[in-house]
Amino acid sequence: MNLSLIRIIAGATFRESFRSKSFVMLLVLYLAGTCIAPIVGWISGTDGSIVTADLIFSLLSIVGVLVATATGTALVHTEIKQHTLYTVLSRPIHRWQFVCGKYLGLCAALIAGQLIMLATGLTMMALNGLSLHIGLLWAGLLITLEVCIMAAVSLTWTALSSPLLAAVFSLATYAVGHFVHGLPGLMYHLEGVQIMLVAGLASLIPDLGYYAYRNEAIYGMPAGSDELIALPYALCWITLLLFITTSVIRRKQL
Amino acid sequence: MNETPVIEARGVGFTYTGNWLQKITALHDVTVSVPTGSIFGYLGANGAGKSTLIKLMMGLLRGHSGQIRLFGEDIGNPKQRTHLGYLPEQPFFYENLQVHEYLSYLGHLSGLDSATLKRNAERVYELLDLGDLRKRKLGSFSKGMRQRFGLAQTIIHEPKLIVLDEPFSGLDPLWRARFRQIFTEENKRGATLFFSSHILSDIEDLCTHYAVIDHGRVLEQNRLDALFEQAPLQLIGTGPMPKEATRASDNSWTWVFNDDQRQASLDAVHACGGSILRLERQKLGLEEYFVQRVAEHHAAGPATKEGGSI
Repeated sequence: MNLSLIRIIAGATFRESFRSKSFVMLLVLYLAGTCIAPIVGWISGTDGSIVTADLIFSLLSIVGVLVATATGTALVHTEIKQHTLYTVLSRPIHRWQFVCGKYLGLCAALIAGQLIMLATGLTMMALNGLSLHIGLLWAGLLITLEVCIMAAVSLTWTALSSPLLAAVFSLATYAVGHFVHGLPGLMYHLEGVQIMLVAGLASLIPDLGYYAYRNEAIYGMPAGSDELIALPYALCWITLLLFITTSVIRRKQL
Repeated sequence: MNETPVIEARGVGFTYTGNWLQKITALHDVTVSVPTGSIFGYLGANGAGKSTLIKLMMGLLRGHSGQIRLFGEDIGNPKQRTHLGYLPEQPFFYENLQVHEYLSYLGHLSGLDSATLKRNAERVYELLDLGDLRKRKLGSFSKGMRQRFGLAQTIIHEPKLIVLDEPFSGLDPLWRARFRQIFTEENKRGATLFFSSHILSDIEDLCTHYAVIDHGRVLEQNRLDALFEQAPLQLIGTGPMPKEATRASDNSWTWVFNDDQRQASLDAVHACGGSILRLERQKLGLEEYFVQRVAEHHAAGPATKEGGSI
């Protein structure tokens, strides 16, 4: 297994993604949002600091997912549609190395973007006199993990469908992924086969509730057991999704 | 020239699955053999199946019948592509990478170390006049500039086999001439060149071998000089002329015949008392030969041309 080839592909993908217009535009959108957040907090009738922090962290999650979806779907689609991968796959590499390299490069760009946004958000909170604590950093890192899962989700949907459909399916996966975490509490009126059926269907979607610690963090609540399994859970899903993407790309006629 | 084929396709067939599972057969029983050290022109009209065979060789398309061998081994092992350079038709590249970053990326993927890469990059910058553009992003390149960069990435690792799909597309006459010069230099370096084109004058100037493909079938392949040897003889004479000859404007006449009619034709000229000024082989253009060969194939009937529009 030649990992250096994956590293080379990841490096080029990182540069390409980090410099893409959609990536930069969404980062600018986030920066604009963090500037507006204190004003929204100030004009809200409730606790302004909570509203400001909530807005900054919600933007971090939403913009992160949008960047992952936009960049992830465009990445593979552009490669296939514009044939940019012809000059890459005609080199001595396997297609799985190409997919892994693309994903890791995209993730590196997304993580860099998330860290820039998190640092900006925390700085903005500090400048507005909000107290910072380790829980906020932990919440930001969990959102980053969630974004990495969403990058894998968008790559898989792009391999299976068109970029527009892939974007729609990815965002739907994000919405359903947050819904399934609260599903056990809603199944009290179901029984037997119904429970198995619903639980079975829910297991087909990554449970993104593990990464929704931001509300608790803003209110200063400690992390629970859910957050502890967030990393291994993310790695399992990413591995599975990359396996599916690779299986599809390997069979694709280019 | 070593006669071990660097590319060998035997009985290759390929069918695309189009929209609504429609089957389109792009290649039928294609057999092509490309000798090491040759410059091999692969001729065909648009949709004849040229790019399909190339994509199969590159591993970009899968599921063919028959056998394709590169460097004497069945395709499938990516390591074979270490010594292979490929310029796709109308190449596109990542828009946000600079020229030097992209060359470094693809050079490293081909296994070059940093020192060799640096040396080879300087060589291709000079060959393709890209030195001043090394910091430019490829998204700002025109079609011709992309083609130049495309060739740069093809030869950056000094491959033994260079596969070019319509390499002259989008180039002005000066750069077409420069490309031809580079191809000749690469061939002298020891590379085998395999390229598809429908600009036949370019192939005629460069190639040592050729194959003609139409509707997914290879109609013919040969050495280019053997093709020229097939051209008919042309006798130019004066005085009394045989009845088969054609009178020219300057009192001379011309008679065209094949090699097997040579002695009989000379005897006929002597018998009628004519004088021979010149006996030479007629210049046969590849373009007219190609048109004639494809027309013959079309005239042979629909059964032989069921290939798709690929």
